[in-house]
Amino acid sequence: MKFIERLTTIDRRIIYLVLAIVVLIPLISRSPERVRVMPPVEKLYNAVDTIPKDKVLIIDFGYAPQDMPELEPMGFALLRHAFEKRIKVLALCLYVQPLGLAQKALTEVTEEFNSVAQTNADSIIYGRDYVFLGWQPPPLIPMLGMGISITNVYPGDYYGNKTDTLPLMKYVKNYNDVALLVSLSAGSIPRSWVAYAQNRFGVAVAAGVTAVSAADFYQYYQTGQFTGLMTGMKGAAEYEELVETRLNIKKSRKASEALPSLTYGHLVMIAFIIIGNIGYFVQRKRRQK
Amino acid sequence: MSISLSPWIWISALLSLAVFSFLYKDNPFYRFAEHLFIGVANGYAVTFYYHNILVPTLFDPLFRQGKLLYIIPFIIGILYFTRFIPKISWLVRIPIGITIGYYVGASIPATTQAFIIKQIQGTVLTSTNFQAWNAGSWGIVWSVIVFIGVLCSLSYFYFSKEHKGVLGVTSRIGIVFIMIGFGAAFGYTVMARISLLIGRLQFLLGDWLGII
Repeated sequence: MKFIERLTTIDRRIIYLVLAIVVLIPLISRSPERVRVMPPVEKLYNAVDTIPKDKVLIIDFGYAPQDMPELEPMGFALLRHAFEKRIKVLALCLYVQPLGLAQKALTEVTEEFNSVAQTNADSIIYGRDYVFLGWQPPPLIPMLGMGISITNVYPGDYYGNKTDTLPLMKYVKNYNDVALLVSLSAGSIPRSWVAYAQNRFGVAVAAGVTAVSAADFYQYYQTGQFTGLMTGMKGAAEYEELVETRLNIKKSRKASEALPSLTYGHLVMIAFIIIGNIGYFVQRKRRQK
Repeated sequence: MSISLSPWIWISALLSLAVFSFLYKDNPFYRFAEHLFIGVANGYAVTFYYHNILVPTLFDPLFRQGKLLYIIPFIIGILYFTRFIPKISWLVRIPIGITIGYYVGASIPATTQAFIIKQIQGTVLTSTNFQAWNAGSWGIVWSVIVFIGVLCSLSYFYFSKEHKGVLGVTSRIGIVFIMIGFGAAFGYTVMARISLLIGRLQFLLGDWLGII
């Protein structure tokens, strides 16, 4: 019985250690895991894929450093998809912290494409193919203001250029020129996009959210308020899978590479929950006797 | 294996290890990293806010370009600081009132429409909602489950009558749905936290040590 008692009093540091080892081994051994794409992610992919040439995709980069493992791969995969299909992109942030991370994603993915580009037409050019609008607080102002005029809300871009002088912004005036808005966020911002941008101006909204908040967002997908939905590292891996298999873009897939670790980590957590419950029920039975 | 030579990667890696050290027990390395993070994050936000928002959208138009209408938002903004002066601290109610008024006015119709009306529409048993599941005839089953789940969960939160009889049954069914919701949220929380650990390990083993 001492063993059973010990099960309910395992030192939390042992649990951390076991979890770390279980997560670490698949990362080093690079054991592959098949990614099964679910309908919410596939719908988002199809929505991006069918954006007309005269419309743009808005990506709201809303992730801070603590959300990077889950949301950054989504941002990279979305940008690769958009740039490969030559879909024009407007990037923006509603908070300060994501600014540097958004710039990193835009710069790195642009570099990936430009390093193999043969001509100017093949290249991804700032101002022509994408614009980084930067940050304009508070969030409600750009959400509502862009329905009237994007350049009024963002008179200057992140780099200090006047937005109305950029070629892309010559024909992108307001939400009427936006085919889809994807919000990558760890908070409730995707819901705000639905309430203000979609509800009032009819913009199609999709979201990439952290797993911890995923359960709060599925109802918006079910009602059709979200065109598509990516949740956590698994959602990011699914989008990476689609970008690789359908567009044949073979680049680093951070979320997909992490999936085996995620699976084994879950199994360990389940095992500890079962062990803890066995210990609890055995002890309770003993006390009742 | 190729260890990074970038000082920034090293600083980042050592700070990550300092934060991880809290898992063993609280210690000065962890506290240093925590305070540094809060300081840097706030410093970055305040500086960015000043240079990229206050200067170009308020100070420059008002003081350099002489656009006198900007004096109105300037004064309203300044009123926030009156709370530090006890005699006139009541003036802070003016900017707070304006802010609350603006947000409430903008949000009540929008959130009612998006979060209540649309969600009710999504719960009602209609053929459109059956098809929204994209699950063939199973769409009807899922819609009925959601319909029952919403009604029973709402009945659990009806406290004006004792939970007996029909209300007792529905509220107990409601608890089952609420618990399933909590379970899903907990499962996703585990996934999120393990993802964070994986992200840091990918950085430490990849960007820093060059093992993966």
